[in-house]
Amino acid sequence: MTDHFSAFSFVDRISVFEPGVRARGTFAIPLDIEAFPVSLVSEAVGQLAAWTAMAHIGFRGRPVAALALETRLTRGVIPGQTLDLVVEIDDCDDDAVAYHGHARVAGAPVIEVRDCLGPMLPVAEFDDPVAMAAQLELLTGDGAVPRRLRAVPALRAQRRATQSPGVVEGLLEVPAAAPFFRDHFPRRPVLPAALLFDAQLALAGELLTECGRWPAGAPIVPQRVTRFKLRAFTPPGATMQLRAEILQNKASDDMISMELSASAEGKPVATARAEFSPRSVA
Amino acid sequence: MTTAVTQDEIDAVFPIVSATMADALGCDVEDIQPDVSLIEGLDAESIDFLDMVFRLERAFKIKIPRGKVVENARGTLTEAEFEHKGIVTDIGLAQLRAYLSEVPADRFKSPMKVANIPRLFTPETFCKLVVQAQRDAKPAA
Repeated sequence: MTDHFSAFSFVDRISVFEPGVRARGTFAIPLDIEAFPVSLVSEAVGQLAAWTAMAHIGFRGRPVAALALETRLTRGVIPGQTLDLVVEIDDCDDDAVAYHGHARVAGAPVIEVRDCLGPMLPVAEFDDPVAMAAQLELLTGDGAVPRRLRAVPALRAQRRATQSPGVVEGLLEVPAAAPFFRDHFPRRPVLPAALLFDAQLALAGELLTECGRWPAGAPIVPQRVTRFKLRAFTPPGATMQLRAEILQNKASDDMISMELSASAEGKPVATARAEFSPRSVA
Repeated sequence: MTTAVTQDEIDAVFPIVSATMADALGCDVEDIQPDVSLIEGLDAESIDFLDMVFRLERAFKIKIPRGKVVENARGTLTEAEFEHKGIVTDIGLAQLRAYLSEVPADRFKSPMKVANIPRLFTPETFCKLVVQAQRDAKPAA
């Protein structure tokens, strides 16, 4: 099996498909992987929206970078579960797609994304439009081979010392080669925003674990992410600076808000705000 | 033929436009002055323009078609009159100066690439866009 349409593809089958309007699909999380982070659940919803949008405009463009004004995370997922994905397209043309949607497992909500926006870029710059159309035919027909994902890529930043209280910084070395780059994307590999965001959440989580606000060992997870904005593409082999800062919170709050940012060569790459609490989402 | 957007119309929408832009750009609302360059003064990028248009559509319950700002700036000129091979013509540049009257004259470079027109945009440009979209949404009397 090649990595294209498997190493970073999170839709197995599309059961309802109205280009430019809505879609429903599924993704079976393989049992033999370690974990499946929430950022990839969000990616799965985004990929379903992308198929709907690309088909609507005849595969001239594909959404690449993204804005997500609000993502609510209700619970985590575990290997072996099947994601039920739903997207509704709010607006779609050759320039951009706006959508909202959600993912559920056995009817229970996992995440809900609202006010997402993806600028459309020429498909041919990133992938083979003919292969894309053929893959869509497979997904809307019998479906792709389930559980073809062999490993979940996880990137982690190396923490750097900082003198600022309530701040954590780290260096993220993007690998020069990885299977996911052959899927995202074959003609122009770029770091998937979901992997960057997962690394940002992990770094922020380190600081929150140490801050002493909550009982030791309590799983600290994001409940809500707002204003996620990806501003630039990151190629393989890049070095990124990640930063997370605790925002002013009342001591009585059960939630801690953090500002997350990533930059490369001094230029901003991604920003987001995340709200964490010790409640379990598993 | 559409009539020019008045200062009163701009003033009426500016508070919401500036708050929306500040939210999209992650800056203070005080930084959103009517004539500041969005790209050179506020470090806005293409994704920010998309974000701002999206948010303004929601805030004002209007529809702003992509490319509308350039179309509005072109006024009554045809595309061929406005630009030639990606460069704004002399008559097009005069029209652009008139439409973007809030932009200082020295920022209009000649020759100007059509692709560089967004470098001129200011919050007031977006106010005009909103007002025009509100007008377009109203049924003709």
